[in-house]
Amino acid sequence: MLRKALGGWSGSVRGAVMACLFAALAPFLIAQAGGTGVLAGKVTDASGAAVASVKVTAVNADSGRTRTMTTGADGVYSFGALPPGNYRVKFEATGFGTLEIPSTTVPEFGRATADGKLEPEQKPGEPSLKDLGFTPDQTAGSAAAQARLDKRSHMLKIHQRLGLITVAPLVATLVLANGAKGTKGAPASASATGREIHAAVGGVTAGLYLTAASFAVFAPKIPGTKTRGSIRLHKALALIHGPGMILTPILGELAYRQKSNGQKVSGIASAHGAVGAITGIAYGAAILSVVFKF
Amino acid sequence: MNQRFVAAFLLLAPAALFGADSQWALGPSTLSYLVSHPLHESVGVSHEARGKGVCHAGQCDFLIAAPVKSFDSKDSNRDLHMLQVTRGGQFPMVTVRVLLPEADLTSATIHCDLEIQFAGQTAHYKQVAFQREAHGNDIRITGTIPATLADFKIDPPSLLSIPVKNDVPIKVELTWRPM
Repeated sequence: MLRKALGGWSGSVRGAVMACLFAALAPFLIAQAGGTGVLAGKVTDASGAAVASVKVTAVNADSGRTRTMTTGADGVYSFGALPPGNYRVKFEATGFGTLEIPSTTVPEFGRATADGKLEPEQKPGEPSLKDLGFTPDQTAGSAAAQARLDKRSHMLKIHQRLGLITVAPLVATLVLANGAKGTKGAPASASATGREIHAAVGGVTAGLYLTAASFAVFAPKIPGTKTRGSIRLHKALALIHGPGMILTPILGELAYRQKSNGQKVSGIASAHGAVGAITGIAYGAAILSVVFKF
Repeated sequence: MNQRFVAAFLLLAPAALFGADSQWALGPSTLSYLVSHPLHESVGVSHEARGKGVCHAGQCDFLIAAPVKSFDSKDSNRDLHMLQVTRGGQFPMVTVRVLLPEADLTSATIHCDLEIQFAGQTAHYKQVAFQREAHGNDIRITGTIPATLADFKIDPPSLLSIPVKNDVPIKVELTWRPM
């Protein structure tokens, strides 16, 4: 039709008119063809079981446009091709109280998740958690919060096990220290093998120790938790055996070099044995401080 | 005078005949659980329980709730571990619902049917005995709920590969006040 209307015009004029029209309509066309997003989630009951046939309504806060669907047998719903913006999401199911999520943002070309946890329908006059003055923040749990606790627990279990395993090479290192020293008056070469073994087992100890420590250091922290009880002593002792476990091999290396050169162990290197012993004692005490826990 | 008396009687009689609603609020309270292991025992205590009771037509409905993380055993590591094994991140509240006839509220020993929601599970306990003492307007209720970890599908935590006992009795000390 446009071609017919412009039919009498020359090609260049016709082209210019088309370009102007396109320029004028471009923002509108782009807006119409703009990206959309997805709003999806899972509906569960108080026990965490999926709830099927829940009516889910998503209302766009700006346009008021409403989309409705029901959850499948797995409790999952998904609205595709939603214009980006803020949505109010409502969940309704027989036998459950209505749940409303006031605002969730659907990003352009992105995905928003709005999970619903339904509580049993309240009978008239029946006291509810709301009546008790608990805030939604206090009563609404989240899978993410539980996952953080699970991860923390899992990492600390590994920390404990590796920590206990580390005791064996640590004790062996302390026992082998005698062989590394050699006997008084004997040439340094006589105790070379002992030193090699002591250093090797010590290296294994330090490696295991640092791996075990990293699981505690990088375990997720739970906000709002104050450290109380024997774990405080456990952490305080770590301030001794932690630096000790780094310092001992360094001093050991210095002592090893001096001894291998036929020199008497002197200077800061002479503290290797004492630092190692203190580290071992602090480490043992740290384990005992928490071992009688579950 | 007589007319006033009749009017007052007519106003108050229905309430007397059909049972007026009464409401109760939970005052200072203590909930504590006991976990036993061959090597040691630990007690977690919460003073953060809130509750409300509504009596209507001779039947009372009480609701008591406490945040799971409010239980304190004086050891943050153990408390966080308990919070994890009881799935307290996902289900942060423990709630107890009690239904009983209003007439039972005056007995020295009250036998209640309880419904407890905890760790995403619901457990029912029949005829749990509680002691009742009146202190002025307040009513003090004490007793022990014979809960177990299995009731809530909680895997018993273990120490040195020895799991804790399945029995986790919950001691209850509640003070109810008329609203």
